[in-house]
Amino acid sequence: MRIGVLLATAALAASASACSVKGGGADADSSGYPAKPVEFTAPQEPGGSTDLLTRALTKNLEKPLGAKAVVVNKPGANGKIAGKDVFSGKPDGYRVAVMPQSLFAVGPLMIDDPDAIKVEDMTLVKGLAVEDYVLVVPGGSPHRTLKDLLGAGDLKYGTTGAGTGSQLSQTLLFGLAKVKAAPVPFDGGAPTVTAVLGRKVDVAAVHVAEAYKQVQAGKLRALAVFSDRRHVALPDVPTAKESGYPVLVDQRRFVAAPPGLPADVRDKLAAAIDKAAASPEYLQLLKTSHIVPWNAGGEQVAAQLNESRQRFTTMARDLGIDLKAQP
Amino acid sequence: MDLLSPVIAGFGVVFQPENLLYCLLGVTLGMLVGVLPGLGPAATIAVLLPITYNIEPTASIIMLAGIFYGAQYGGTITSVLLRLPGEASTVVTALDGHELARQGRAGSALGISAIGSFVGGTVAIVALTLVAPLVAGFALDFGPSEYTALALLGILLITTLGTGSPLKSLLMATVGLLLATVGQDPLDGVARLTLGTDRLLDGIDFVIVAMGLFGVAEILHNLESLRRPGTPMTSVGSVYPTRRDLTESKGAIARGSVLGFLLGILPGGGATMSSMAAYALEKKVAKRPERFGKGAVQGVAGPETANNAAATSSFIPLLTLGIPANATMAVMFGALLVQGITPGPTLVDEKPDLFWGVVNSMYVGNLLLLAMSMPLIGLFVRVLRVRPTILAPLTILITMIGVYTVRLSAFDMFLMVGLGVLGYLMKKVGFEPGPLVLAFVLGGLLESSFRRSMRIFGGDVTGFLTQPITAVLLAAIVLILVTPLILRLARRGTAA
Repeated sequence: MRIGVLLATAALAASASACSVKGGGADADSSGYPAKPVEFTAPQEPGGSTDLLTRALTKNLEKPLGAKAVVVNKPGANGKIAGKDVFSGKPDGYRVAVMPQSLFAVGPLMIDDPDAIKVEDMTLVKGLAVEDYVLVVPGGSPHRTLKDLLGAGDLKYGTTGAGTGSQLSQTLLFGLAKVKAAPVPFDGGAPTVTAVLGRKVDVAAVHVAEAYKQVQAGKLRALAVFSDRRHVALPDVPTAKESGYPVLVDQRRFVAAPPGLPADVRDKLAAAIDKAAASPEYLQLLKTSHIVPWNAGGEQVAAQLNESRQRFTTMARDLGIDLKAQP
Repeated sequence: MDLLSPVIAGFGVVFQPENLLYCLLGVTLGMLVGVLPGLGPAATIAVLLPITYNIEPTASIIMLAGIFYGAQYGGTITSVLLRLPGEASTVVTALDGHELARQGRAGSALGISAIGSFVGGTVAIVALTLVAPLVAGFALDFGPSEYTALALLGILLITTLGTGSPLKSLLMATVGLLLATVGQDPLDGVARLTLGTDRLLDGIDFVIVAMGLFGVAEILHNLESLRRPGTPMTSVGSVYPTRRDLTESKGAIARGSVLGFLLGILPGGGATMSSMAAYALEKKVAKRPERFGKGAVQGVAGPETANNAAATSSFIPLLTLGIPANATMAVMFGALLVQGITPGPTLVDEKPDLFWGVVNSMYVGNLLLLAMSMPLIGLFVRVLRVRPTILAPLTILITMIGVYTVRLSAFDMFLMVGLGVLGYLMKKVGFEPGPLVLAFVLGGLLESSFRRSMRIFGGDVTGFLTQPITAVLLAAIVLILVTPLILRLARRGTAA
């Protein structure tokens, strides 16, 4: 009995660890790809939105790919830990990572890191999803429109952290509107929403999924989205651009592999991801999470990363905002 | 809005076969852990953390909670039979419990503590059901400045109310605060104390600290004292208390329930403190205090009731404010975060299934424990004979595998072992890991809340005093710091 309990515990622990598959082994002949399981590294803890997204994708990937697809979680430093690990490996297509745009287009503008991953340090495989930011104020706030809010001046705005799109979008918006505003960074979306609900800050930008329920309940009021067009879940909320402030900031996720991945391997993988991303289960997950699919090829992903980084830099420079000085 | 409907829906969550199973698994494991001296609930929950990744959030929290309150039942068994407390929270039970056992009344002691635990636990759950939503209701008023004061209060209470010397606790808390600053600056993103490695960029993972300092350190410490003080008594006697025992402990159980509930909510409180307070209270109110230490049933009933009530009520600050009141709750906090759940004011509203599911699972768990504890006492006594030389390495192995699976990082594994050795050395010279771990958890909150507050107040420190709740909390802190000084002065005054 007592040994049984101990063994059961040990077995449970062992099975938890057994879900990792190391992608070593040289497979020079890419025509045989994939000959073994493909490992997807999610740069987030299990249960987070990126993790769920990756799991829904890999689940539907096995059939079109013709191989097992395994999810490995390597959270930390907004994806840098996972990226550093995967992109230093062999470009054989057996280890890929799901990466966030902010690591390449937002963070570097705000935080000095000589060791940062660059766009050239990876082979871009496929775009996955776009998550939009929405600007919210408390439900009972006197500010009914973006114009109201910007007219108020001397704002305290909540952000979901340093180097996030939440911070960047608001810094640019308030800079453009020449409103005196002080950022108060929180640790992720949930505490930021709580701070707005409790009126600890005047306003905050968060992902649509993080605010949606409270907006529906009337506890938060959405004033603007920072996307090119209105969000499907919030059709009545104007874009910042519509209101005269062309601030376009979103969070995107894409699949990337080590640099030098053979083109045929990349295409095979991209085609399989395409099929998986069209599966009802995956689309349903995106829908319930208020995330929009991003059907982009590798070149488009690279263009997007470079373009947004360039745009943010130019905008900040034109506005005379030193993003690095922004906390 | 119907207040009760989410509560009732919560029972629907509990009675899903899967959740029932995890509840049963949790309380059984908890009891086992309570029986095995040295392996406490904090350590066990820490060791099991990585395994819970693969379990659905509600089920995993139900299981972990079961381990916590289940351990309060199990710890009694070794306290009574061996005078070897399986749990810090059952130390005082050993005083009278073992005495009763020597008089051949082990059954009475165990039976009464099972009943007391059940009553204490149930009272605490009912109170939790009523109180938690209220706390959560005004919890939105808790912003950066309130959290700053609360974190400060928590750290202060741990160092002054802890079981060890306040000076040592303070030192440990300082180390905890220092460790909490490793990683990216929470507001600016600048790397601090990372020794140039990306591995430390996100700070030291709480799981690693908890598993190292609680898990590995405890095991190492136990290996040192391989000898067992005696073989367990084979005869337990009747495990059902007599009518006289029940009459005698009625009051103790009632008082223990209330005291345990209140002390469990308090930061720095929890099961250990409340069991000690309950023992002191019982001795004070007893008609024949001279019987204490010589086999007073009340001396078992009071503390055993209180520790279980406290184990339950300490979930209130965790689930509603996101503030762990004690070390075990700190580990539970980590478990929730790992599952992508941030405990806090919005939890009751946003995750009613999880919240009420976990709360209601405690009713079920306590029933299971009551049903199991008496018939299974004999079995658990036999578990005590597992040789530590088998148990210890196996536990260490599970710990290592567990910590590796969190991030597939060998670095984390070494870090944990390093912290384990540190924890062992600390214990050897009389430093408890509790204040360190709690300060580690609260340190991040303290720093970021303070700095956020300063942003909100535009750099003006007096802004703290303009917030009513914050001002009250700060006043409480001043009171706690000043009262002992005044008392000492007053005593000197009367003596002169």
